[in-house]
Amino acid sequence: MPMKIENGPFWKRVEENLHNDFMRGAVAGMQDRGYVRRLGVIEELGHWEEWRSLAEQIRKHTLENLDFYLMQLSENVAKRGGHVFFAQTAEEANDYIRRVALEKQAKKIVKSKSMVTEEINLNPVLEAIGCQVVETDLGEYILQIDDHDPPSHIVGPALHKNKEQIRDVFQRKLGYTKSSDPVELARHAREMLRRDYLTADIGITGCNFAIAESGSITLVTNEGNADLVTALPKTQITVMGMERIVPTFEEMEVLVSMLTRSAVGQKLTSYITVLTGPRDEGDVDGPEEFHLVIVDNGRSSILGTEFQPVLQCIRCAACVNVCPVYRHIGGHSYGSIYSGPIGAVLSPLLGGYDDYKELPYASSLCAACTEACPVKIPLHELLIKHRQIIVEREGKAPVAEKLAMKAFRLGTASSSLYRFGTKFAPSAFAPFVEDGRVTKGPGPLKAWTESREFPAPSKERFRDWFQTRQKGGNPS
Amino acid sequence: MKVSLFVTCLIDLFYTNAGKATVELLERLGCEVDFPKAQTCCGQPAYNSGYVKEAKEAMKQMMRAFAHADYVVTPSGSCAAMVKEYPHLFHGDPEWEEEAKQLAAKTYELTQFLVDVLKVEDVGASLHGRATYHTSCHMTRLLGVKEAPLCLLKNVKGLELVPLPNAHQCCGFGGTFSVKMGPISEQMVDEKITHIEEVDADYLIGADCGCLMNIGGRIERLGKPIRVMHIAEVLNQRK
Amino acid sequence: MTRGTIQNRDAFLQTIAERLGRSPRLSGVSRPQWDYAPQWTVFAGYSQDDLLNVLQKQCGLIHTDYIETTSAELAGALRRQVAAYGGGLVIVPDDPRFAEYGLSALLRDEWPAEQTTVHIWNPALGRQNIDAAEQANVGIVFSDITLAESGTVVLFSRNEQGRAIHFLPKTYIAIVPKSTVVPRMTQAAAVIHEQIEKGGLVPSCINFITGPSNSADIEMNLVVGVHGPMKAAYIVVTDR
Repeated sequence: MPMKIENGPFWKRVEENLHNDFMRGAVAGMQDRGYVRRLGVIEELGHWEEWRSLAEQIRKHTLENLDFYLMQLSENVAKRGGHVFFAQTAEEANDYIRRVALEKQAKKIVKSKSMVTEEINLNPVLEAIGCQVVETDLGEYILQIDDHDPPSHIVGPALHKNKEQIRDVFQRKLGYTKSSDPVELARHAREMLRRDYLTADIGITGCNFAIAESGSITLVTNEGNADLVTALPKTQITVMGMERIVPTFEEMEVLVSMLTRSAVGQKLTSYITVLTGPRDEGDVDGPEEFHLVIVDNGRSSILGTEFQPVLQCIRCAACVNVCPVYRHIGGHSYGSIYSGPIGAVLSPLLGGYDDYKELPYASSLCAACTEACPVKIPLHELLIKHRQIIVEREGKAPVAEKLAMKAFRLGTASSSLYRFGTKFAPSAFAPFVEDGRVTKGPGPLKAWTESREFPAPSKERFRDWFQTRQKGGNPS
Repeated sequence: MKVSLFVTCLIDLFYTNAGKATVELLERLGCEVDFPKAQTCCGQPAYNSGYVKEAKEAMKQMMRAFAHADYVVTPSGSCAAMVKEYPHLFHGDPEWEEEAKQLAAKTYELTQFLVDVLKVEDVGASLHGRATYHTSCHMTRLLGVKEAPLCLLKNVKGLELVPLPNAHQCCGFGGTFSVKMGPISEQMVDEKITHIEEVDADYLIGADCGCLMNIGGRIERLGKPIRVMHIAEVLNQRK
Repeated sequence: MTRGTIQNRDAFLQTIAERLGRSPRLSGVSRPQWDYAPQWTVFAGYSQDDLLNVLQKQCGLIHTDYIETTSAELAGALRRQVAAYGGGLVIVPDDPRFAEYGLSALLRDEWPAEQTTVHIWNPALGRQNIDAAEQANVGIVFSDITLAESGTVVLFSRNEQGRAIHFLPKTYIAIVPKSTVVPRMTQAAAVIHEQIEKGGLVPSCINFITGPSNSADIEMNLVVGVHGPMKAAYIVVTDR
């Protein structure tokens, strides 16, 4: 699955998803429970705003010195016998990984969750050379066996599926015969995947945080799947977005604390694992060979622009979990594996405006995302920046809107024009007013009045009332 | 105390009662209220849609209109929040940066002004009924005004104030979002109304006319018996 | 250790530097003094007893059994916990602490006598160790550092302590000497960072393990015991 989810034009996706009652119930339930839990752990921790400021400072410093830290990281990985491949593009990354798989004559590959490997569309490349690629994160596993149903949330990708749907998929594809009880479903996945871990030739992981000072990678899971992916196969390949790096263990622990609380309301997840290079000499398990693939794929184009703060992201999905728009339209509506507010900002940057031009407008700018972001990315402001670019550079704004905004500028830049223009509002509206309200509006009001009444302009503007009053008349 | 009223385009044209209530309330509390006629619009509609050049022309007009004001008070949380952005938007502009800073520093949303500047929490208002308060997103998250409205409403005689469930969720206005993304906006406002009904509120009180227009417009269309009031109108209610 | 290969680095880093509007910065950067340090305020001033209270409370929230004992009683407590988990095959690392804490007799004589087989991780046995871990009902380790705030045991890999011990067995028991307990990950990270600064090498695997494995991927329902152990217990030794 590449970044883009092929599922039709924006409005078709939105309409379908607005009618998906299960998904909407699941998302609303997740958001409501998550809201309480997240606020609980944050309050328990204390000084949250200081934590956010610290996390922001760490991320900003790292991005400003990204070349230095990637240099340090790669040197330290190599010192420990690991191999580092810097991949400017998705193709380069996939080519390298394919070469490793061919060299190892790999037949089976187990993977732990990695958004960047989905972004670069790695799995089909490996399948094309005859590898069986098995997703081990339970959510990703469910989606994979369901004919590659796309993820709808960056942390809980199978959020849109109910347990009956999961049972049906297991039945059809795995010969499962038990019930839809989540415990039984999970136990079945455990059994199936246990065999895969023990027989895989290569383990592929993502990277929550690479640690420059030691050449280490940090993996954060609740299931323990990443640990089995890296303990048992002989070869490990870790793929990381180039910005997913911290200077030392001390910054790693700060950001992990922010991640686990913001993502799932936990103090720490069950398994946080820091891996450095291949196994130590004399170790029985752990990989014999370690490869780190560092991916750019458009991230460097974001550096040095007003969008640079989006690279601070630690992929916690706190923004997704508080977004009132995501709440109703769900992840698939975004047409990208990156959904919610972070997806609306990132997808046009990595994928261009042609495919994602509606996303920056699918927001009421309520700023819940900005408020929730543990590393203080000003997400709603970046959405406004996208709109600016769409208007000014991309020329993709509708003509009617541009004309209306020109009129706006004229009307509001001059008070006399404004006063003149607004004086005629009551008469301009008159044809549409009934009982003091507008029920079927013209032009832009039409969309409004599809579902709402619109007030008729007051017979007397406030400013006229005030002026008359000043002169001694017109008590209210 | 001399206060210059920034009434906002929505109130000027559609919700004049909120503007009138604001003036009367401030006067009763001892303020001398003037209305700089040159004021137009804070620039939000254009700015939020990505039309920065156009928005900035409106903003300059605002800075001209209020250049001589001591305090600028507005019954709109989102408009006050927009004005607070002016210094950031005119940063580096030799002609307007200083003006922007000055205007931002002296601009207040109404409840913020009453509580933080006039130091008043009981304005002697009275309104009987069961009410819930809608926390507008920009006022809460961007302007940071959370407590002032509640302090004031708690002292309104006869008013039974109940918390709104899921208050942190946007009502779906978002300016042009409400028309550009109508079907999504409709779902958001419907959920908001469900929560208002959950607490059996007779009144829905808010401090931002955009939100009230959105929620009120939908309430009317659905024929719900919920009365929507601007907080200025509530605070100006007397026996 | 043979040095690994690095490919395509120069152009890649050059691109980054260009985008940042400067020449490449490949050395000489150090972390600034961060403006905030809230992580150090957590449980500041807490005694070891206070931290044990925190740990115990946290275990209640993470589906982990919490048992307190003394070194004299440890063998008994361990025996009872393993029995509660169903006995069977037990896997342990080759760790001198088992002898130091008076557990040799249990591992070598008592358990085998009652059909609780013990496999001690032995590098010379290679893959057999992994097979044993896969079949094991219980994995038992000593915690190197213990984080009170989250209920986390920290394990550093060694030749004699394979990674599989923590993940393949059905259940997991960590023996936690009271002296290993610190407030939170901040202290553990500081210790590791200090060692690196002094030129030390971190082991190839450091595990921070908090209770049993779980997932909320099916309808956001928490299922305990997915790929890793299904049950976990911490046995705290209060006089060590």
